[in-house]
Amino acid sequence: MTPASRNIGRLSREFARRELATLVGTTGVRSAVLFSADGFEIASQATDSAAAARLAAIGSSLSALGSAIAAEAGLRDFERTMIESSDGTVLIMRVHGTRAMSLAAVADHGAVLGTLLWATQRCCEALGRIAGE
Amino acid sequence: MNPGVQGEFKIVFTGPMGAGKTTAIAALSEVEPVRTEVENTDRMSHDKEFTTVGLDMGRITLPGGQVVRLYGTPGQARFRFMWDILGRGAAGAIILLDATQAGVLVQLDLFVDAFAAHVPRGAIVIGLGRTHQPGALASDAFAERLEARGFTLPVLSVDVRKRRDVMLLVETLACILEAQTTEGLPS
Repeated sequence: MTPASRNIGRLSREFARRELATLVGTTGVRSAVLFSADGFEIASQATDSAAAARLAAIGSSLSALGSAIAAEAGLRDFERTMIESSDGTVLIMRVHGTRAMSLAAVADHGAVLGTLLWATQRCCEALGRIAGE
Repeated sequence: MNPGVQGEFKIVFTGPMGAGKTTAIAALSEVEPVRTEVENTDRMSHDKEFTTVGLDMGRITLPGGQVVRLYGTPGQARFRFMWDILGRGAAGAIILLDATQAGVLVQLDLFVDAFAAHVPRGAIVIGLGRTHQPGALASDAFAERLEARGFTLPVLSVDVRKRRDVMLLVETLACILEAQTTEGLPS
């Protein structure tokens, strides 16, 4: 059992994978990883499992840096951050639940930004509900 | 020697999870440090409540007027990418280790190798914690391990909660840097 698997139960991990599959079904979205605040992958939809684990670690650093810069600016909780590159986007969004978790969605240039934001938000809300149960 | 503001340089506190990097920077920094601690879900690796996943950042002005930016890394190998980001452009590194932790010599090798690639040769100081506790490995073992691998680096016993101890690590590193450059500290 990986440490992060304690975050949510076995059944809800299956549910998490299904929710991530829906997100990856969005046009342009290539992969999605749900991870703990300390950088462990909890569930993922990605072809490369080693890449998913690395994305979890880097995503947790970015979430923590997002929280740090928000606090520095006198703002409240971190909600999301977006890395835009020449040929795609990585969106990192906080999942509200009993344990601190975030979601990273990787999209190529085929994704429409508004759709990506909406679909990821919807996925985070669904994950937040199961994590809260 | 290193790019940066005149009279200002950067050192990195590194070492495995639970060695006291965040504590050391908090003990030394003259400003409230930036922290990125989150809940630790890996209690098998180390039984502590919080862990750093991004970086720590503080600052100290040395008696000579040089400003030292203090950066702390996460300790777990999955955050290796942060070691390289923070190690880039560093004038030196301080490796903190818990002398009672199993496999501490392997950790020593891991961090020395990771940061020797970034800092000038010899600009690393080892800080050993919990050396007076039962089961602690003698500091000679660390020096011998380093020598066997061709490194001659200072190994100091420290309590990272004590500002004086952490300052000794920074001053030792500053002395090494001073000896390495004809114009004093890197600018």
